[in-house]
Amino acid sequence: MTQEQIEEFEPNIIGFLCNWCSYAGADLAGTSRVQYPPNIKIIKVMCSGRVNPMFVINALQQGADGVLISGCHPGDCHYQSGNYLARRRMGVMRSLLEQMGIEPDRVKMTWVSAAEGRKFAQVIEEVTAEIKKLGPMKQFRREQKW
Amino acid sequence: MVDKELLVKTAKKIVSREDVKYVVGYKQGTYGFVISPSFAYTPEDVDNFIYNPLCKKNLTVYPILEEKLPLRREEEEDKRKIGIVVKGCDSRALVQIIQEKGLTREDLVIIGIPCKGVIDLKKIEKRFPNQTEAVNVVETDNAEYILNISGAVQHIPKEELLSEVCKSCEYPNPTIYDFLIGEKIEVGEVPEYSGLKNLDETPLEDRWAYWEKHFQNCIRCYACREACPLCYCKTCMADMLEPQWIRRSVNLSENTAWNIMRAFHLAGRCISCGECESVCPVNIPLMELNKKLEKDVKEMFKYNAGLDTKEKTLFGTFNPDDPEEFIM
Amino acid sequence: MENLVIQTEKLSEWVNEVIKKNKVFAPVKETDFSNFKIIDDYSEIDFTYLLPRVPAKKILFKQTETLFLFTPGSKGSVQTKEISDEKLVVFSLRTCDAKTFSILDPVFLGDYADPFYKSRRERSILIGLSCNKPNVNCFCTSFGDSPASSDYVDILLTDLDGKHLVEVVTERGKKFIDNYKKFFTSASKEDLDSKKKVEEQAIKGITRTMKLEGIPEKLDKMFEHPIWYENAMKCIGCGTCTFVCPTCHCFDMQDESTLREGARVRVWDYCMNPEYTHHASGHNPRPARMNRVRNRIFHKFNYYPINDNIVGCTGCGRCIDYCSVNIDVIDIINKIGEAES
Repeated sequence: MTQEQIEEFEPNIIGFLCNWCSYAGADLAGTSRVQYPPNIKIIKVMCSGRVNPMFVINALQQGADGVLISGCHPGDCHYQSGNYLARRRMGVMRSLLEQMGIEPDRVKMTWVSAAEGRKFAQVIEEVTAEIKKLGPMKQFRREQKW
Repeated sequence: MVDKELLVKTAKKIVSREDVKYVVGYKQGTYGFVISPSFAYTPEDVDNFIYNPLCKKNLTVYPILEEKLPLRREEEEDKRKIGIVVKGCDSRALVQIIQEKGLTREDLVIIGIPCKGVIDLKKIEKRFPNQTEAVNVVETDNAEYILNISGAVQHIPKEELLSEVCKSCEYPNPTIYDFLIGEKIEVGEVPEYSGLKNLDETPLEDRWAYWEKHFQNCIRCYACREACPLCYCKTCMADMLEPQWIRRSVNLSENTAWNIMRAFHLAGRCISCGECESVCPVNIPLMELNKKLEKDVKEMFKYNAGLDTKEKTLFGTFNPDDPEEFIM
Repeated sequence: MENLVIQTEKLSEWVNEVIKKNKVFAPVKETDFSNFKIIDDYSEIDFTYLLPRVPAKKILFKQTETLFLFTPGSKGSVQTKEISDEKLVVFSLRTCDAKTFSILDPVFLGDYADPFYKSRRERSILIGLSCNKPNVNCFCTSFGDSPASSDYVDILLTDLDGKHLVEVVTERGKKFIDNYKKFFTSASKEDLDSKKKVEEQAIKGITRTMKLEGIPEKLDKMFEHPIWYENAMKCIGCGTCTFVCPTCHCFDMQDESTLREGARVRVWDYCMNPEYTHHASGHNPRPARMNRVRNRIFHKFNYYPINDNIVGCTGCGRCIDYCSVNIDVIDIINKIGEAES
């Protein structure tokens, strides 16, 4: 993609945020009036460990250019180990996507605590910039042409 | 060379036991190089059991395919054991299923066979097309197969017919068994799976072009799922309607989603028997996905599937020090 | 009706001419097999194939067919799906694949005509190619067909080394071929004789036979025979045999929608799946694999001959080729013939 195209492209990013840390962190970013790109569409889940890898695939199929999964910091999980399990899964999912020729960086993961409103905004900025560089997801987008 | 007489004798002994329902092994198929699974309910049924390098089929699907039909009144559930003939990879499938509590060790009587690798049916059929008569294949000690095709004896280097997965097999000896037929095989250094090397060197776009071509051919017959001993969910996610994870229409997007899902669900569970690939009617190289995940799981989590029935599953456990370089 | 000859070097010109005005389906080489695909040029056709992996039924009876579109919700509406009027040409069909359509016709054009199948059937020209190198599991001769049969196609080509014999069989085929008169010359008696030779040679190549005599009637009395248990034990319940079968035609209806738009689609289904007969109540009238394997054989060799007077099998041998557990329909039927009912 040319520089111009990269700047024009507004990616769609789906964020799966855990209820206890990251969602509260996003809330804090909002109440603290921290600016971050509006490309992210947030879906609240109870725990990052609840994110079924098929959520990621379905999101990519249905219009997302990138997926962000955010949970509590290691050791802080409300359910003790949900984020550790999610980390394993997403690590494997990324290597599978890579083997298939789909940019693994479309699937991102991060830890954001309830106190890290500023970090949340920063993460979203980084993810958006990175997905912007990757361009629109084109490999297996669902074509709604019946 | 596996002693056929010992195999038959052992199977006969097992099938005559009162607590055994049947023994499943291999028999000659109806044409050419095809081998058929054989179910023996009585000692006489065992007589047609064979074992040769053509016996590729992973028979461990059968204990998990056992149907639990609704019982009639006063009918009791048949809880007898199933006898099964396994090679190295097949036995790892059993270990994995037992580990996941899909079966218990008590359900099975296992006849283990140390395996020197099996022939890829697609390769041999390509080499000798239109073979209607049944052919027996014998493996010699100096890495050759001897085939007797309509009177003409052929010597073929093992390398040319061997299944690709067998070339990188690390566990030729059964990891779990009650009876062992033949001597254990010593394992040396094994080369990496050939399919992985090709893909490792290709850039991302070319990789997708490669898979796109294959996924477009997918007819979603789910043979890969049904042939896999480890795909035994009561209801597969692909069959669910509410929520519908994958649409039923057959197109590139849904086919890709299905193939990602299948490969992912076998991460840390696949035991590299290569069944999915060999049953695929449109020749999708599924093992290139499975092997890649096997390799990465080994590197990232030092995890090997199907070695110990007491071990915990890959995704059911964690280590606080798991790699996390991809986390922002 | 009319016998013509086309020189092999002119074949490409003719086919390319046909491609200009029609959507042409022909076997195209995939990784290591061939499949029917839409072609843009003659050079794409793979003539070395024995049988395309997925049968030609997929051209007229698509694996995924959109029946109508809708917008969901209380103010929703239904829009019919327009049927295109493109002309289709199916090039290089083997007898077993061509016969598909005479078996599917009673289903899709019978009591209720399926508009999609009907339309495609009416605007398609079937061009056959005599089979000269049968596969190991071919058995079309068992049904009284020949590998070079002209019964089920509009036009039949036969490769005669350097030239192709073109037999124009139907009125529709004649109308079609009249547009391309300049490529053809009329056939001599020798050409017809050499076609006979090709045919005989091909028939010699078919080694397996299915003994069909009295099978449909005999099956009536064999519903509970142990042979079904024997064969079904092996079955792993995948859909390969039905999906690669030229005559299997069961389908499933699905509504696929987003919040704003949706469609009802028809997709191939397979009777080897327990879900196929699963009732909403939870009851399954075909609970075991034995019921399902039996149903498949009964459908083809009992229900079909009794209802429509034609055996629901063309003898292509695909289900035997690709079955991973050696469920061999020739073997089953022959064993039924020998068994005591």
